[in-house]
Amino acid sequence: MSEDKVIVANRGLVRADFNFWVGRYLDKFYDNLENKKVIGNKCTKCGAVFVPPRKVCGECNVVIPLEENWVDLPDTGTVVNYTITPYRINDRTLRKAKNLLLGMVQIDGSNTSIVYRLLDLEPSEVKIGMKVKIDWAEKPKGDPSDIKGFVKV
Amino acid sequence: MEKVGIVGYYQVKMYSDANYGRYEMIFEAVRGAIDMAGLKKKDISTVISCTNDYYDGRTISNCFTVEVGGGYMADESKVEMDGAHAVLYGLMRILSGNHKLAVIWGGSMPSCFPYHSTRLYETDPTWERQLAYVNDITSAGFQMRSYMEKYGASAEDIAKVAVKNHKNAAKNPLAVAEAQNSNITIEDVLNSDIYADPVTELMVAQPCDGVAALLLAPERQALKITDNPVWITGVGYSQDAYYLGDRNLYESKSMEMAGKIAFESAGIKNPQKEIDVAELFESNAHEELILSEALGFADKGKGATINSDINGELSINPSGGAISGNPPCATGLIRIIEAAKQLRGEAHGYQVNNAKKAVASGQIGMCAQNNIVFVLEGGN
Ligand SMILES: [Zn+2]
Repeated sequence: MSEDKVIVANRGLVRADFNFWVGRYLDKFYDNLENKKVIGNKCTKCGAVFVPPRKVCGECNVVIPLEENWVDLPDTGTVVNYTITPYRINDRTLRKAKNLLLGMVQIDGSNTSIVYRLLDLEPSEVKIGMKVKIDWAEKPKGDPSDIKGFVKV
Repeated sequence: MEKVGIVGYYQVKMYSDANYGRYEMIFEAVRGAIDMAGLKKKDISTVISCTNDYYDGRTISNCFTVEVGGGYMADESKVEMDGAHAVLYGLMRILSGNHKLAVIWGGSMPSCFPYHSTRLYETDPTWERQLAYVNDITSAGFQMRSYMEKYGASAEDIAKVAVKNHKNAAKNPLAVAEAQNSNITIEDVLNSDIYADPVTELMVAQPCDGVAALLLAPERQALKITDNPVWITGVGYSQDAYYLGDRNLYESKSMEMAGKIAFESAGIKNPQKEIDVAELFESNAHEELILSEALGFADKGKGATINSDINGELSINPSGGAISGNPPCATGLIRIIEAAKQLRGEAHGYQVNNAKKAVASGQIGMCAQNNIVFVLEGGN
């Protein structure tokens, strides 16, 4: 082992931005988010309601047809899990002063949960089972950021 | 299953910043394993490497490791998961009947790349990756909270696992120096910085630099190479749904399934009684409990009641587990090597008495989405 570490950094030599086609199911989901509406889809076999919607239920291994089994859902839900972290994923060396409070929220009428920020809440106020509702972005764009987070009902 | 034996191994000392070349490390590990078995480069008939293009900053990154990894003018293939998955691939190459000696090596050097950012590439680009709220740090917090809420486990129960693994790491000369602590207390663990609440820094298997290598041979060949082979008598492999929100994070259904397959193959009816040593890949302290329960070592939610100390009722992670050092792509492979050491009586300083049967596990994905487990037996 040498005393000095010589590093060659890869800065800007290669840049490969990807465009991901979200597929027809998420496309419909994002169109609805843009109108401040949440939709899910329901497995034709077991009846589980998925948010975000998906083409295949893994448990049943069946396709949920694109044309049917959509479910309109409210913008309310239940906190089923939460965590608090001082880290921002791109920079773990820097512990940010402000803790990020994240919840796993099960939208009412669905069987899955989604991960978003819990807003206007102190960590000590968060309880599992707590009812919350979506805080919508002022100008929704049809992407995941349309949900700013969840606030206490 | 036809008998396949572990006939050699080598693991480099793990460092949080090794400050020497990854290729030197790979060569040291592969050459070390070959030397241990008293073999030559020409004896290698197939090589399975385990790295990750994102961790290497290159694509098809195994094309750069041909010379150092023993793949020069040899049959070679790469697994982009955990080193334990590479062992499964190597096992299949041997079982195909076409190969007499497989080298399996894996590892990486996170001191040179942003580990957590690269792990973000595991998440769904069309949904969760956009906001980055789901990542390997936050998912650890969700998983531990889920376990505590479901079973009423306390943070102390989890901290106890971290204490044991740091103390065991202090006996393991290859462990990361930062993880070696024979004086650590439950309070130290609970009072360390928040990682993702309720997980604290000292509960985390922190990524570090390291490479390990293992040799596999079919029975006849294995007995020619060594008097002390370790046999793979069972292997099981399974994975759960991708989205965290689709899963019960308080349990590991995939490890349950993997364990069932592996134990059936090895003829093990009561793992809790029959297994002497378990080397489990725990990304965080609480996962050791979740995985132990999935393997039937304790009832659900009761993992903390097992006396898992060295020479306890079932020694779990006598090497210190992944908490003793977590080199991405090597960690599960190191678990297999550590289990083999126990069965060969070579775990100097942390040897479990009369270790006859062991399990070793590997994993990938957020909250151990994907698990693989091997049953190993010593003696010939
Ligand atoms: Zn279904």
